[in-house]
Amino acid sequence: MKALNYSPEHLTSNRRLFWIAAALGVIMMAPVAWIIGLSLKDNAELLKGTEAVFSFPYTLVNYANILESSSVFGWFMNSMIVAVGQTFGVLLLSSLAGYAFARLEFPFRKTLFIIVLFGLAVPEQAVIIARHQMFNWFDLHNTHIGLILPNLSSAFGVFLMTQFFRAIPKEIDEAAMLDNTSTFRIFWKVLLPLTLPAQATLGIFTFLQAWNDYWWPLISATKSDMYTLTIGIASSQTNFAQSEGLGFLGAQAIFASLPVVIVYIFFQRHIVTAVSGGAVK
Amino acid sequence: MSASISIKNITKRYDSVTVLDDINLHIEDGEFVVFLGPSGCGKSTLLRMIAGLESITEGSIEIGDKRIDTLPPGQRGVAMVFQSYALYPHMTTRQNMAFGLENVKVAQDEIDRRVNDAAKILEIDHLLDRKPGRLSGGQRQRVAIGRAIVKEPKAFLFDEPLSNLDAALRGRTRLELAQLHQRLGSTMIFVTHDQVEAMTLADRIVIMHNQKIEQIGTPMEIYQHPVSRFVAEFVGSPPMSMLPINNIQQTANGVTVEVSRAGSIATAITLPPEFNAKDAVIGIRAEDTAVVSSEEDGLDLTIKVVERLGDRTLLYGTLIDGTDLIAEDSGRSKVKAGETVRVSISPHAAHIFDGDGLAHHSQMEV
Repeated sequence: MKALNYSPEHLTSNRRLFWIAAALGVIMMAPVAWIIGLSLKDNAELLKGTEAVFSFPYTLVNYANILESSSVFGWFMNSMIVAVGQTFGVLLLSSLAGYAFARLEFPFRKTLFIIVLFGLAVPEQAVIIARHQMFNWFDLHNTHIGLILPNLSSAFGVFLMTQFFRAIPKEIDEAAMLDNTSTFRIFWKVLLPLTLPAQATLGIFTFLQAWNDYWWPLISATKSDMYTLTIGIASSQTNFAQSEGLGFLGAQAIFASLPVVIVYIFFQRHIVTAVSGGAVK
Repeated sequence: MSASISIKNITKRYDSVTVLDDINLHIEDGEFVVFLGPSGCGKSTLLRMIAGLESITEGSIEIGDKRIDTLPPGQRGVAMVFQSYALYPHMTTRQNMAFGLENVKVAQDEIDRRVNDAAKILEIDHLLDRKPGRLSGGQRQRVAIGRAIVKEPKAFLFDEPLSNLDAALRGRTRLELAQLHQRLGSTMIFVTHDQVEAMTLADRIVIMHNQKIEQIGTPMEIYQHPVSRFVAEFVGSPPMSMLPINNIQQTANGVTVEVSRAGSIATAITLPPEFNAKDAVIGIRAEDTAVVSSEEDGLDLTIKVVERLGDRTLLYGTLIDGTDLIAEDSGRSKVKAGETVRVSISPHAAHIFDGDGLAHHSQMEV
């Protein structure tokens, strides 16, 4: 084990790092604190000047207004359906594809895998017109399916799961084969449970990405009852919203980010593991 | 319940590379057979072919009277213990052992009975609710064996199952495996590159080399009558010393060979007329040598390294012509590195290997 270093130079260097990290933290958190501050102020007060954020009184009236508005809950539910649906869909398809690429022998396996990986390099904007037309033909715009479908084929998810399945020793499959286990049962009962860490990582990323997605819902959801929260909140910004309704906008932003914050708090460990790329055990 | 295994004309090729070439082997019901050989000789491949984890290019495999090489692994009636144990990490010991039985829809009370019985035999009954991550290497190894036992297979296949254990545990587990074989009386095939495991466990050893079976025999047959120079050098620790032969003289009791400038060794070996003397060598095991006084016949050995093992002392040295020879002295040997001692060789214990590597032994038992 590495011995702790209590030398003055080391402690000074640690202190310096701490202050740099603290400063960066403040810079990161300042806009969030600002939005929270705005959300707790009356709109009329903010109209006089946003410096009102720094003084009492504070109020929950903006949050009460959200709860009174029927649209926001609808948008929230739309976001939840899309994010949860997309997360389960991506987990299922990526796991199946990852298992197939990692374990099954079939023609053009390597070529297909490379084609899938190319998906990582294609920006969404490049395919958006074609996708829009396709969904239009199939009359999928303004439906939950239409919002979920495009992101189910996750190149990142397939890549992640393939690598994870590859890392599982083949002897486990072989032991299961000798235990008279069918191929699907090997996948479902033996290997899939071993990929839980990867599933958690992929699930969190997919959920966060789906929840925060703006671009595709903006195109696909044109009716207000099909808006997701991101689109709904943006649509609330009337011409004068940035001066007349700042507090309400702030409350909406905080309300919209709550699920993301909850997901982050509960799955923080998995997110850190995912970001560190398995370097930390 | 256990059964014999017949391997008939088995060949395995990966594209143009031949991994196993025309292997024939019959293993009796209840026999403990060890496949022994260096890395890459094909021993694990042969085991995996019996298990059904590798396809066969040519030939057939039968267990009992039933041809099984066309069946999937789970239907061959064999159980395998892997080098890495290959336990299911997310299942408890009990679930690991029961999984195979659940797949073939064995009744739950029968599963419980078999798991509990096997756990008792292996003394892992207190570990049944633990997952593999909370077990030591030795305990995992027992669970892997338990998983095989509960299936009541026709044959057990072991793929180097002891190589991940430390030396002390390896020795103990080896003994327990031998006891388990005696208790179950099942057919067992054990793959290893460790000759001590092979010698101590096997009813018969199958020595594999260059994609072929080099020799099949009991441990003592293999040790005392190796069929080739490869077997002689591979089996035995320390390895057999090989001294180049300069000249061979026929005598009434056998041949006397002249070893370079180092001297002559009288043997009780009779060589056939077609003996290929080119590059022939005489092989001597350390325990067939003795340190004698300088007046007696023998070879002068200059000692480089003395290895004291307690009950005996191994003397690593060179003969006058520079050839290496390993000799043995008693545990209380006073010989030191740098000294020159005279070493005699038992005439009945030497082996002569001709230019093709084929062995010729004394007809008299040592």
